Amino acid sequence: MAHPSQLGFQDAASPVMEELLHFHDHALMIVLLISTLVLYIIVAMVSTKLTNKYILDSQEIEIVWTVLPAVILILIALPSLRILYLMDEINDPHLTIKAMGHQWYWSYEYTDYEDLGFDSYMVPTQDLVPGQFRLLETDHRMVVPVESPIRVLVSAEDVLHSWAVPSLGVKMDAVPGRLNQTAFIASRPGVFYGQCSEICGANHSFMPIVVEAVPLEHFEKWSTMMLEDA
Amino acid sequence: MLSQIVYLHWLSFSKLSHTPSLPIALPFSHQEPKLRHSNSAPKQAIAEERVHFLIHIVFLKVQSLSTNMLHLTKGRVGCLLSKRAVVGLTNSGARMSSHSHHEVSDQVDMSQPMYWDRLDTPLPDRAWNDVLDSKDKSLKEKEKGPWTALSKEEKIALYRLKFNHTYPEMKRPSHEWKTVIGGMFIFFGITGLVVFWQGHYVYPPQPHTFGEEWQAKQIQRMLDMRVNPIEGFSAKWDYKNKQWK
Repeated sequence: MAHPSQLGFQDAASPVMEELLHFHDHALMIVLLISTLVLYIIVAMVSTKLTNKYILDSQEIEIVWTVLPAVILILIALPSLRILYLMDEINDPHLTIKAMGHQWYWSYEYTDYEDLGFDSYMVPTQDLVPGQFRLLETDHRMVVPVESPIRVLVSAEDVLHSWAVPSLGVKMDAVPGRLNQTAFIASRPGVFYGQCSEICGANHSFMPIVVEAVPLEHFEKWSTMMLEDA
Repeated sequence: MLSQIVYLHWLSFSKLSHTPSLPIALPFSHQEPKLRHSNSAPKQAIAEERVHFLIHIVFLKVQSLSTNMLHLTKGRVGCLLSKRAVVGLTNSGARMSSHSHHEVSDQVDMSQPMYWDRLDTPLPDRAWNDVLDSKDKSLKEKEKGPWTALSKEEKIALYRLKFNHTYPEMKRPSHEWKTVIGGMFIFFGITGLVVFWQGHYVYPPQPHTFGEEWQAKQIQRMLDMRVNPIEGFSAKWDYKNKQWK
């Protein structure tokens, strides 16, 4: 989750998110360099006492400021496309989970082995235990084994929603009547928070997502316990 | 009370004349430039006097509606009305000349040779003073002879016939920035008042999770959960010595 007055991204909890962080650093550096150059030129143009009224054109500078931006764009596009294709690779998941969006909660179905399904509602502010995070906690978390490729099939039962967990680098629209697939690997154990990312009505801001990555034995115990409770 | 302060501040700002008197040390500055074209500065002054009188009336009227809650808006309504009145009652030439040194004439015949004072184009198409009396004519005849025969005053007079402003006069600062910065700060102040009023009268109470104790428990829980342990939050906590790094 984000810490107070955070400006940048959350620390990556999956390999894809690490790649995205590095790409963002690369692209932002290029943007900052260009902006600094432009700002310098603007200040220099505005503050000079010299005038020249007779320049009409110049072929050399036209070539420079056409070729150079094209080169910069290629430098941005190549890493971008690399990550795009990386995310699309066949990943042979260990587990498939269905995340269904409703107004206004998520429901998760683990149907690979047994029929496990449960709803995940936000904990209302007045019911929070001291120390819990307002608008982020849910009554049931989506528990996954750590360091395993997980496939998430995202859909919706009523209106558009979007299943997003920033620290895992995942966002996938939940479209009614459509099954969207995304995948992630949780590289470290922990609890990762996200929020619904497509406007879906009055309580769009109040249907968060919580993913808990635990060692495999804990995951097995948890799923057994959830099945017994159902 | 506050509206009176605002009103007085606004009055003093707009009455400030930013065009300075010519400093004595500049060359040719001891002689006042002969005004060949009408100067629109008096027009501006007259218009401003009229506007100030109108605004005084408006302000008194507005002040007579007295509820305590509206005492801030009263001053602001006065300001808003006065700004609109200034724009409506003056022409663009008068307004421009209050800050810029371009004495704008409203109609210029561009088919005739023009005069200009420009830093980057030094020699205009015609002289400043075309209408010469006999004294000027005789001076112009004398100019055809050796220039060493001219006295300093005669050289200055010849310059003033040919040109309106000297280079230092053209380059003189306009002090417009003081109006701009002052106006900015006034608006910042007004905005600050609005924001403060909003915070006091409009916002609902903060959720209880913003309390000191809850925030402390929250931070402890974030550290226990190892939130952002690589470069972010928990990376800055020294778990061995139980303190921030």
